[in-house]
Amino acid sequence: MGLISVSGQPGCRFEEVARIAANRLGFELVTASRIASLVEHEFAALPTVPDKAYLDLVASIVARLATTHHLVICGDGLELLSKQLPGMLRVHIVAPDSVRVGNIMLDERLDRPAARQSIRAMEERQRAGRKQKFGLSGLPAHLFDLILNAEQLDPEHLAGLIVSAAHSAGLIERGYLSAAAEAQLQFRCRLRLSKHGIVPPDKIALPRKSFAHPSEEIFANLLDFYRIPWEYEPRSFPIQWDRDGKVSEAFTPDFYLPEFDLYVELTTMKQSLVTRKNRKVKLLRELYPHVNIQVFYQKDFENLIFKYGLAERSLAKV
Amino acid sequence: MTPELALGIEKVLFTEEQIEHRIGEVADQISERYKDKSLKLIGVLKGSVFFLAELARRLRVPVKIDFLAISSFSNRSGAPGLVRIAKDLDDSIEGEDVLLIEDIVDTGFTLRYLLQTLSSRGPNSLAVCTFLDRNSRRIVQVPVEYRCFEIPDRFVIGFGLDYNQLYRNLNYVAVLKPDRD
Repeated sequence: MGLISVSGQPGCRFEEVARIAANRLGFELVTASRIASLVEHEFAALPTVPDKAYLDLVASIVARLATTHHLVICGDGLELLSKQLPGMLRVHIVAPDSVRVGNIMLDERLDRPAARQSIRAMEERQRAGRKQKFGLSGLPAHLFDLILNAEQLDPEHLAGLIVSAAHSAGLIERGYLSAAAEAQLQFRCRLRLSKHGIVPPDKIALPRKSFAHPSEEIFANLLDFYRIPWEYEPRSFPIQWDRDGKVSEAFTPDFYLPEFDLYVELTTMKQSLVTRKNRKVKLLRELYPHVNIQVFYQKDFENLIFKYGLAERSLAKV
Repeated sequence: MTPELALGIEKVLFTEEQIEHRIGEVADQISERYKDKSLKLIGVLKGSVFFLAELARRLRVPVKIDFLAISSFSNRSGAPGLVRIAKDLDDSIEGEDVLLIEDIVDTGFTLRYLLQTLSSRGPNSLAVCTFLDRNSRRIVQVPVEYRCFEIPDRFVIGFGLDYNQLYRNLNYVAVLKPDRD
């Protein structure tokens, strides 16, 4: 089982590092928000989840996912899962105050004093969360295999180091968690969870991400580089109906960028496809005026490449 | 045949007089905002050079100037359009009021990268001024405080903008013929 945990100080963009590393390794990324929604989905019947049960709940979920995926799990305190899931590579990202404050200034459009205040508040929440959920008051270095400093290295570089470490540790060559190992682990988790009156249900599934076209994977990589969160084909919009009112045509934009509340549709160089997609986008805008959608053309790629590149371009392609 | 047509130009978008007038207006806005302060202009090579020079001449606040250059590359996973800093700033911007000067902003990817990079270096403030804004192509929303002109989705040259490194020295902005070889 290839399993990597990535955590970090607030404002050092460790989630982006995790995303890039997961993409490069071909591992599935499971973020803190994804874990929260899986916990909610899996244990919907619970009125509240006791703090002390949190780690076992997550371990139960991660163990199931690890039978079909290699994983990068991203969130505070998840390095502690190594007790239940030995062999995990535990990574922690740190950065000086100036870097983290700068990131928050930009991400949250704050001035420097407000960004610093925001960082302090996040640190306080992080400290309180670790204390409540894991009984830890500090962040001892020995809990991690790799502590990386983001002061001079950008997320691409940091992800590169994680990828190298994963190769060195042989994570890539490992198989998925075996059914027998999972059963044993689930048994131990259930035993501990039962003390809190929690009984985990049977199955949890995580569909594998696969792109319909290579250009979509390239665009996803581009978004990762620019540290932009994305979702792939999260929603279909009906754009035509037959006489009986049944949907006869739907349009599924390729990407959704939650940070900008924007759907993005990619086009290729083929003019016939461009025309067809433009028609769909036009229909979508008419039918759903509140939905923001932008088409990313081949020429947009070229503008990014050629403006700062050495290669000459043919204007005919622009 | 006029000289413009000989250059393969379809039409002039902004004349020298229009550019001069508009830069004056934007310079006034900037001077007002940064009055009693000194301002560091950071130009992104090479396209912003002409605009930065003209803007700096029209500002009424003390100005320092620095440049950075970026270059494109593709990473191993095949994503083109990624950029890296090829020439970094000569001096620190810590504690400075920084105005990043761009020739054109379209998708916003590159500007986002630059803002992320510069914001981590401790400037007192960081804002963006662009000569041209092709807002219709925006994917990534980036804060652009000052813009001289918004332009349509056409390929433009002149006043710093090039086609295969040519045309930067035109003192107007024009649309190039799309069928030019």
